[in-house]
Amino acid sequence: MTVTSPLNIGDSAAPLEEHTVELSDRALAGWEIASVASSVVIAEWMAASAAGLSKAIIAIPIALAVLLIIMSHRLRRESLRDIGFRLDNFFKALSLLALPVAVTALLCLGIGWRLGTPINFFRWHPGRFLVLQLALGFAWALAQQYVLQGFLNRRAMIAAGRGWPSVLIVGALFGLLHLPNPWVTVITLMAGLIWAAIYQRVPNLFAVAITHSLMTWFVVSTLPPSALNHLRVGIGYFF
Amino acid sequence: MRRLSRGTFAQLLIGKSIIEALLVTVVAAGLFLATTNPKLHGWLDQADAQTISGWAVDDGNSARRVDVQLFIDDKFIEQRAANELRPDVHQANRAQDDWHGFVFKTPTLAAGEHEVKVYVLHSSTSATRRTLQIVGNPLRFRSGL
Repeated sequence: MTVTSPLNIGDSAAPLEEHTVELSDRALAGWEIASVASSVVIAEWMAASAAGLSKAIIAIPIALAVLLIIMSHRLRRESLRDIGFRLDNFFKALSLLALPVAVTALLCLGIGWRLGTPINFFRWHPGRFLVLQLALGFAWALAQQYVLQGFLNRRAMIAAGRGWPSVLIVGALFGLLHLPNPWVTVITLMAGLIWAAIYQRVPNLFAVAITHSLMTWFVVSTLPPSALNHLRVGIGYFF
Repeated sequence: MRRLSRGTFAQLLIGKSIIEALLVTVVAAGLFLATTNPKLHGWLDQADAQTISGWAVDDGNSARRVDVQLFIDDKFIEQRAANELRPDVHQANRAQDDWHGFVFKTPTLAAGEHEVKVYVLHSSTSATRRTLQIVGNPLRFRSGL
């Protein structure tokens, strides 16, 4: 029997007891989640603080996080298909997402109507063509969902198991990373839970990103702009 | 492609954490230096119902007249240059010339105790920020009205 520490990092070839391997994997996945989340926090909260130096400085934590994510995929031998860049389950994922998107859209319309907000579907960057803005929104959503679902959700499943514990971790992380914007934090918390739950059933990033972009469009078009504060998060919320 | 070992990956995680910790430290120190001038010195000598006076100097460029702002009970009252005659500051080797004093005429205030604070204005090198650094300690006085 080999005596090992819970996280045996020195000799990956050493024989490990089964329960030790499982713990090691969970701990490593938890560490990966914390590391990528901390990079995003540094980027979000450093941008304005570092304005006296250069805003380009935020590229450092982002680049480190991307490097870590790529290395993590290599370590765990995950393919693009495993991560969710695939089309075979696209319509199945989209059908599961249709109801939550419809409910969210109705909820937004209801809240907007209740608060007396004028509904304007051209409010999301009015200087751009709507189609272009939706395309840009999709690209940004795909990048976010790749990190959120393709990395954080998958690591959360290793750390906490498939199901509600990992779904809660992903939803809470997505919400907390949108602090201190209160409306956006609540919306992303709820949306994060839905996306995480559906991704665990049908992992397809394209479907999740399309609904992300559509829901952002609906939120921006129906809810009070003063409350959303241009969807600013991190320290930028205050400026 | 060679398989990445768990040990190498853990080292990558540790390295990333160290780089980010250093980055945050550099940004924090840079922000402090951008918003604070440790060479600004001065003192709030006196405050009463008639006048509020003291002196302020930028040791990094003591020929410059720095701007000071008066706050009473945390409300902004007035800004002016610290360019009044203060030969004692020069004689004490705190400035290169006699003209670094400030005197504010105390405005009409409600009866009771008031707190006076004077701040030196500091502009960051990129001129994107202006910050206030307190001069000496706050003083309290009673207004008789």
